[in-house]
Amino acid sequence: MIEKVPPKNLERTVAVIGNPNTGKSTLFTALTGVHSQIGNYPGVTVEKKLGWFEFEGQSIRLVDLPGTYSLSPRTIDEMVSVDVLLGRQPEVGQIDAVVCIVDASNLERNLYVVSQVLDLGLPTLLVLNMWDVAQERGIQINTEELAKRLGMPVIPCEAHRRKQIDLVRSAIVQASHSPKPNPPDIFPELFHEEGRKLQAEFLQFSNQTLPTYLVERLILDVGGQLEMELTKPNPEQLITRLKEARERLKVAQFRVPNIEAKLRYGWSRQILSGAMSVPEKRPAVVTDTLDRWLTHKFWGLLAFCLAMFIVFQSISWAAQPLMKICESGQKQVGEMIGSLLPFGPLRSLVVDGVIAGVGGILVFLPQICFLFLFIALLEDCGYMARAAFLMDKLMTKVGLSGKSFVPLMSSFACAIPGIMATRTIENRRDRMVTILIAPLMSCSARAPVYWLMVAAFFPSISWAGGWITLHGIMLFVMTFFGAIVAVPIAWLLKKTLFKGETPPFVMELPSYKIPSPRIVLHRVFDRASAFVMRAGTLILATSILIWSVSYFPSDHSEEQKVLENIRLTESMLASELEQKEQLSLEREKIGQTPPLDSKAIAEVDEKIAELDTRLQPLHLLFDTRNKISEQLLANSFLGRFGKAIEPVVKPLGWDWRIGVGVLASFPAREVIVATLGTIYSLGGDVDENSQGLQTALQSATWPDGRPVYSIPVAMSIMVFFALCAQCASTLMVIRRETNHWGWGVFTFAYMTTLAYIGAWIAYVVTGWLLAS
Amino acid sequence: MSSVVSQALPLELMSAGEQGVVVEIDGAPELVVRLEEMGLHAGVRVCMVQPGSPCILEINHQRYSMRFDDSVTVLVGLVQ
Repeated sequence: MIEKVPPKNLERTVAVIGNPNTGKSTLFTALTGVHSQIGNYPGVTVEKKLGWFEFEGQSIRLVDLPGTYSLSPRTIDEMVSVDVLLGRQPEVGQIDAVVCIVDASNLERNLYVVSQVLDLGLPTLLVLNMWDVAQERGIQINTEELAKRLGMPVIPCEAHRRKQIDLVRSAIVQASHSPKPNPPDIFPELFHEEGRKLQAEFLQFSNQTLPTYLVERLILDVGGQLEMELTKPNPEQLITRLKEARERLKVAQFRVPNIEAKLRYGWSRQILSGAMSVPEKRPAVVTDTLDRWLTHKFWGLLAFCLAMFIVFQSISWAAQPLMKICESGQKQVGEMIGSLLPFGPLRSLVVDGVIAGVGGILVFLPQICFLFLFIALLEDCGYMARAAFLMDKLMTKVGLSGKSFVPLMSSFACAIPGIMATRTIENRRDRMVTILIAPLMSCSARAPVYWLMVAAFFPSISWAGGWITLHGIMLFVMTFFGAIVAVPIAWLLKKTLFKGETPPFVMELPSYKIPSPRIVLHRVFDRASAFVMRAGTLILATSILIWSVSYFPSDHSEEQKVLENIRLTESMLASELEQKEQLSLEREKIGQTPPLDSKAIAEVDEKIAELDTRLQPLHLLFDTRNKISEQLLANSFLGRFGKAIEPVVKPLGWDWRIGVGVLASFPAREVIVATLGTIYSLGGDVDENSQGLQTALQSATWPDGRPVYSIPVAMSIMVFFALCAQCASTLMVIRRETNHWGWGVFTFAYMTTLAYIGAWIAYVVTGWLLAS
Repeated sequence: MSSVVSQALPLELMSAGEQGVVVEIDGAPELVVRLEEMGLHAGVRVCMVQPGSPCILEINHQRYSMRFDDSVTVLVGLVQ
């Protein structure tokens, strides 16, 4: 027989499929190394993961399909895998071979999906992963016999130890050049007959030839994705034909859909009988002992709380210094570029717009990396499934399942990784609700706003000898406020938009294992680069937009003159500035370490005061600059817009400046601190601990002399920030994860409405409480 | 091989350490198929590790966490 073998150097495409928790991603990473690429298939939430490797002169493109227990598409997301395997996914193209990765210690169940893959009639290769676990459990598998019975190569492998990887590579290359095999005989001829009949009818109705696999799935999957998709053009006739076919099969004792599992498991048992032996009693393993404690009603919860506490403590402990470095790096880059460019719009755009904006988001990169590091560690060691098990009871109260807990917990650090972590939830409705409420969890960017407002407007009262403070209580309440509001929202979403039964919660509890550093770091790198690439682009665009509306159309020549003047004066007073900086550091040190040396403090204070008199011209220039900045902002498009919308924000107790600050912070909520700083004539360079900003807020007044800020106003601002969707990156991630702009817009709309109403209630209620 | 010693009873009524063979899974077809694909199918041997809702089950040496509701009933015959 002469077979047309394509030239060896032509790239071949091979798909990788298998059950969840079989080490599929680990094998994929081991095969392709860093040569991979993550994207999305159009219109669905499935991740498209491609990788490349070359072996024996043949280059192979691997397509990683999502972990699945079967190839019966019940949702549009599950349809993707089937389309890819059938070569119907244009972005991937024709598939030359399939690698089925299975858990060697649980072969009988894993062969279910393998039998479905075999029905596709593609050259297939079976990788028995976790060979070591199977050995440990005393499971014996005769791979040669298995290969003979299945009619395909069978390779034992330990992907996490990188054992036998080259053997797998070689088998993949070989399989990609193999001829197409015949599918096994699992179903009776009668069924295939009905399939052919339906295929012909479909051709007649829609002028389209449907692959045999899809027609047969159409018969088998009652109410599945195919039934909905394919019967759309001719609902009446096709559904009738389909029902007739199923009815005829039922008469012949072939009851759809129950028959499939029966026949496939029967086949699987037949294949394995004699080729595999499993000891009657499972030997006691470490996993059992660990589970006795970690899933215990009391000890398990305690261990869980402890684990979460450690995770969050270490994130703030380890990420803070790195964030500081990022911040100062950003400042230095800004200063460096600033010193190279002349004063003017271009400099302002680059420094205030691009560097301040994009830098503002990159500052969160360490936090995101650490969070993903912990998530990857907990996932890879097998603990995540236990956490979901423990939290299931709590989550069912709002109509979600335990699987939603981890993403929501992650959102307390940042909603972006939290939303990305929802990929572990298979049920689409649960996943959507989790994505939509995740931004309500109090992320780290909200903290600066709370710190500023609480410190400036709440009296420092403390009880129990200083252990409990009003400030502490307020911060705690604000941190959990969003999560409390999320409860009725989740319940409402489950009752309206995402109505439907919560499916029985079934989840595998994989064996515990020591996480592989390579896999964990790879996952952190993947996520971090995705964050920088995607979120970064939008932040860049919005930063430029906000900069331009707050810069134009005012005339900035006067401000530039003052800035030039400041630079000149600064270089003239350089030594004084340096001295002052050193003295301030010294003052801070002696002011903090007891016993307080009042004499030394007074001495340093005196020196500082003396320096300040010499620095007076500079201070005056700064004051002028701040006044000009405020004027320019008031006259800018943003300022004019702020004045125009003042009636809208007035019911919340806000003046136009707060309104503008809040508007400017829609791309990223932490911007509010800097914007309020600019507005209250302090220039853009303030942080939440600056006494100046707190004082400025306290002394700000309405035109009639009443103070702008009060406890009710502070409350209304905090509630607004707790509930509002002020994070463009989050909305971008929602768009990407749901693959639809609509959900980003929906989240924005519902959260902003909620924030407005919440802030109004907070303002009115606090005012009423304080008055009575 | 041990034999079925009891009348079929719903799986969630098994107590810790008890073993059974799945006799029948009844309920919404798509949910039943899901369970079957994951390994819980008629004829398979299950062991209740930790009863409750959700409970922990063992099937073929693999542990699963499951929460059942009215939409699916899994009947098992206890074995010794």
